[in-house]
Amino acid sequence: MRAYCTVDELMAVALARTIEDHAVVFNGVAVALPYLAILLAQKTHAPNCVFLAGLPAGVDPHPPFLPPTAGDALLLQAAVVTLPLHEIFDLAQRGELDRSFLGGGQIDRHGNLNNAWIGCDGMRVRLPGGAGAGSLSCFARKFTVWSGRHRGNGRSTLVERVDFITTVGHDTPAGSRSALHLKGGGPDRVVTDLCTFDFSGGEMRLKTLHPGISLTCVLGNMGFQPRIPGSLVQTPPPTAEEIQIIRRLDPLKVRQREFSPRQLERKFPVA
Amino acid sequence: MGVCSGRDKVVSLREAAQVIRDGDTIAVGGALSARQPLALIREMIRQGRKDLASVGGAHGVDVDLLVAAGLLKSVQHSYVGFENDFGLAPNYRRVCQEGGVEILETDCNVILQRLRAASFGVPFLPMPRIAGIDLLEGNPAFRVVACPFTGETLTAVRALRPDVALIHGLKGDRAGNVHLPHPHFMDGLLATAAARTVVTVEEIVAEEEVRRLGVSIPHYLVTALAERPFGAHPTSCYPAYAYDRRHLAEYVRLAKAGKETFQRDYLDAYVNSVTEEDYLRRVGDGEHFARLTGWKDGVAAWQEVFAE
Repeated sequence: MRAYCTVDELMAVALARTIEDHAVVFNGVAVALPYLAILLAQKTHAPNCVFLAGLPAGVDPHPPFLPPTAGDALLLQAAVVTLPLHEIFDLAQRGELDRSFLGGGQIDRHGNLNNAWIGCDGMRVRLPGGAGAGSLSCFARKFTVWSGRHRGNGRSTLVERVDFITTVGHDTPAGSRSALHLKGGGPDRVVTDLCTFDFSGGEMRLKTLHPGISLTCVLGNMGFQPRIPGSLVQTPPPTAEEIQIIRRLDPLKVRQREFSPRQLERKFPVA
Repeated sequence: MGVCSGRDKVVSLREAAQVIRDGDTIAVGGALSARQPLALIREMIRQGRKDLASVGGAHGVDVDLLVAAGLLKSVQHSYVGFENDFGLAPNYRRVCQEGGVEILETDCNVILQRLRAASFGVPFLPMPRIAGIDLLEGNPAFRVVACPFTGETLTAVRALRPDVALIHGLKGDRAGNVHLPHPHFMDGLLATAAARTVVTVEEIVAEEEVRRLGVSIPHYLVTALAERPFGAHPTSCYPAYAYDRRHLAEYVRLAKAGKETFQRDYLDAYVNSVTEEDYLRRVGDGEHFARLTGWKDGVAAWQEVFAE
């Protein structure tokens, strides 16, 4: 019988595959999907990856399951040590954080993200704020951008220009990353519910399409035209082992809270 | 200024809340849905404290409740929300959008460095360049500076000394020594950065017991200490209890229903003119609290907390 997975699982695998073995990584704050992706990478292709787990600031934790709230002491279970929070940021300031995961309420073509305000005066919507993403986007060697709302948000997730920059990408109205003397290398991958991107010349370039997703669908759900390479490939399917690990790590399916019930109806083949 | 050398710090919850004065800059301990001093915050609301500025990292129900009750004139937090658990913070969002509170954009690391500058006794701290992000726009807390030794371009952030840190710990003693369970978040830093530190604890015990568990905040940093069981409720205070997801769901539901409903069905029903004992009785029965304290009975019991 053919095995299938859902979009949350496909994205967790795609996020995990952006982690190199031996990388020092930070998951971000208040979200389960990158947390799960890092645990998965440690159990598969990146056993030497060092996981600095925010927000509780545990090193290499092994929680028995994932909770829906990131400050919970559950997330320190079996950790090597619990650090004072500033030690993670100190490490990033030293230029030693290889990868962070940063989500975007809005994402633009240069990889700038917005998690503060959407809209302009009079019709503004207050988002929670960028947590530590502003500093991390300046310091981390690389970061993976992600969003589970590429589709179904009326082209308002991937936009030509973000309304407010909480997280700096490759180019901003204030200048490019190198002109700004930033230490970090900026975003190198974007993973969404429809596809993945990398960057070329500081701009987002389509890299893979998720199974069953057309180029028309990807472009029809975004507010700018990304760079498109000569040949487009499909996002490599998750393996049965990867899906099994995800389901074991997250029995409460906290990973699915990013997504609408409709998104979760979609089925993707497992290799 | 932050040192308080007396050996009897124990006060009532009412007196503890009186350490916070109108117009103060407050730094609330804990984070997200963990170990926030909510009994103290509820008491500040009862006492009608006003014109406060709240500064800190990633928070949730504490800031949302303070904003809803009208205690804050400004908020300088890197994140205020209920994560993927319940989403956006409804009162915070509403009041921000109405312009009822001033928002000072910040970032976890920036707040940390500003508090560290205060803790280190210096007027600013340099950090590697941060640029291109809009929170820098017109923000008087930042300057671009050159390293006096190498000429390297750096960002300087101004020291931020809160008037008072509000912390909830697990156990404390009469002298004011406090044991915090992990995670500590920024709590230790708040106590050294702030001019005054008010602590509530689940239980006041003998000094030997606090020493045995480990003193996280020594007595000389503590201005006043009050005993308040379930003082972090509805956030967690492990190992005593997990967070109260059922109550937070009710909170968010009422907050989403709008200002009047929240005033009547939450603030009046659970905070104003309600003692902390009555608050807990209204929250739930013995069986309900047994579930929150029963997380330690095993993984299945712990999972049940998050499925409420």
